[in-house]
Amino acid sequence: MNNPITDIVKNWIQPSSNIIDFGCGDGSLLKELRDQKQTVGYGIEIDPIGIALCLKKNIPVIEKNIDDGIDEFSECSFDVAIMASSIQCLKEPNVALDKILNLSDKCIVTIPNLGYWRCRLALLLGRMPVTPSLPSSWYGTENIHLCTIKDFEDLCDAEGFIIEDSVHLNKERGKSGFAAIAPNLLSSEGVYLLARK
Amino acid sequence: MVDTYGELNSDKSNAILVCHAFSGSHHAAGKLDNDAKSGWWDELIGPDKAIDTNKFFVVSPNNLGGCFGSTGPISICPENNEVYGKNFPNITVLDWVNSQEMLLSKLGISSWACVLGGSLGGMQALQWTITFPGKVKRAAVIAAAAKASSQNIALNEVGRESIRHDTNFYGGDYLKNDTFPKDGLKTARMLAHITYLSEDNMNKRFGRKIQDIESRVDELVDYEVENYLQYKGNKFSEAFDANTYILMTRAMDGFDPAKDFNNELQEALKNVTAKLLIIGFKSDWLFPPERGKEMQIAAMQSGINSSYLELDGQQGHDSFLFTNERYKKNLEAFLGS
Repeated sequence: MNNPITDIVKNWIQPSSNIIDFGCGDGSLLKELRDQKQTVGYGIEIDPIGIALCLKKNIPVIEKNIDDGIDEFSECSFDVAIMASSIQCLKEPNVALDKILNLSDKCIVTIPNLGYWRCRLALLLGRMPVTPSLPSSWYGTENIHLCTIKDFEDLCDAEGFIIEDSVHLNKERGKSGFAAIAPNLLSSEGVYLLARK
Repeated sequence: MVDTYGELNSDKSNAILVCHAFSGSHHAAGKLDNDAKSGWWDELIGPDKAIDTNKFFVVSPNNLGGCFGSTGPISICPENNEVYGKNFPNITVLDWVNSQEMLLSKLGISSWACVLGGSLGGMQALQWTITFPGKVKRAAVIAAAAKASSQNIALNEVGRESIRHDTNFYGGDYLKNDTFPKDGLKTARMLAHITYLSEDNMNKRFGRKIQDIESRVDELVDYEVENYLQYKGNKFSEAFDANTYILMTRAMDGFDPAKDFNNELQEALKNVTAKLLIIGFKSDWLFPPERGKEMQIAAMQSGINSSYLELDGQQGHDSFLFTNERYKKNLEAFLGS
């Protein structure tokens, strides 16, 4: 995870929160949050290297493929769930978000924006878009549910999720005031803090 | 009986308790003078191994009720100078943990850096965190479960039945009759041994290969797998005690720390302060990975620093005995964290 997203997440998390991070990588974000905000955080990860690094950092980690579903956590309860890079890779992202908000008061998600002007231009020129937020070629991508910022916000509305806060990123995945002017056209990626109505 | 490996450091902070599984002993690592085989966890315990004896002082006791040196059914009862046999009192995982805690204070150590074990040994590690939260800093619960399943109990019962129906069992008084239920114990072990292996592993190892005639244990054997089980069963039945077999399987069946807490494991775990590492093996069908996941989730609900790993080990339940790169790396990271 790069720093802009880490900073955004840090801003949204209250001290001493109980966190679950789906796709926690090497546990760096959870470690920063623990060190700076005294949070208690659990990571979910599938990559063996990431898992070993979590254990080394004393970050509790659960080996799991999120694609297999998260029903086993249904009895758990967290303040915040972080889903920073993979919601569009899941089979049913709307169902996944719903389940996440059943076990967590808030959920932080990032969503690459297919409405970004560079994506639109690529398509206009007859090519599948490749951007820093959508780095893979069409045959190598794990993204199966791409959408635009508008689509995503419509989904939240339809499913009864409140967008408590959002940040829109530029091409370099940095926080950008310019991207916020017309995010559906100008931002490459949206970062959202969701809760239930 | 107790073995130790490595050296206790000056502030006594590097002691690790290793709990053995059902038929194990205190002899966990290395070779004693007359041993043909190394200790049961030799792949993991030793200099530069996953449980590094250059860093840690490893304590490995033989469980109470065992037949490898600790007081058990083959010991003499001081009250009547007779062998205990069937009269040896029932024993629980908690009894073992209580006796291990006495060992801890005898060693003058205030807490274990880690308690760990596989299978029934993992159950002891879990019980440690519940019963003596201040005296264990980490626990690794490997290829284990928070309670024996119905299938576990059923399989154990077939083993016990086979022992009880051996004509040499004499209701457990076989030693007084100068004999022992070798055949019953052998059959029990043959069945149990199958449960320790995976189908895939057995197929790879034995397949449908025919045992060569010169090395058949007897003329009734055709397949290599038959010969192997016969051999293993025979060896075990000559080294293990039948009453101990019954006692130990009963202890395993009875393990269920949640039963005093409305069957809510997270309630049983609510005072746990140790960090937990729970490891399951994909090919283990005796204590499958799901049992490990359940433990981790209960621990997480109780706010315990707890991790869960699912390793690829190909050897079924026995996978916990064999080292591999991931197993070693993650145990090292956990022990060093």
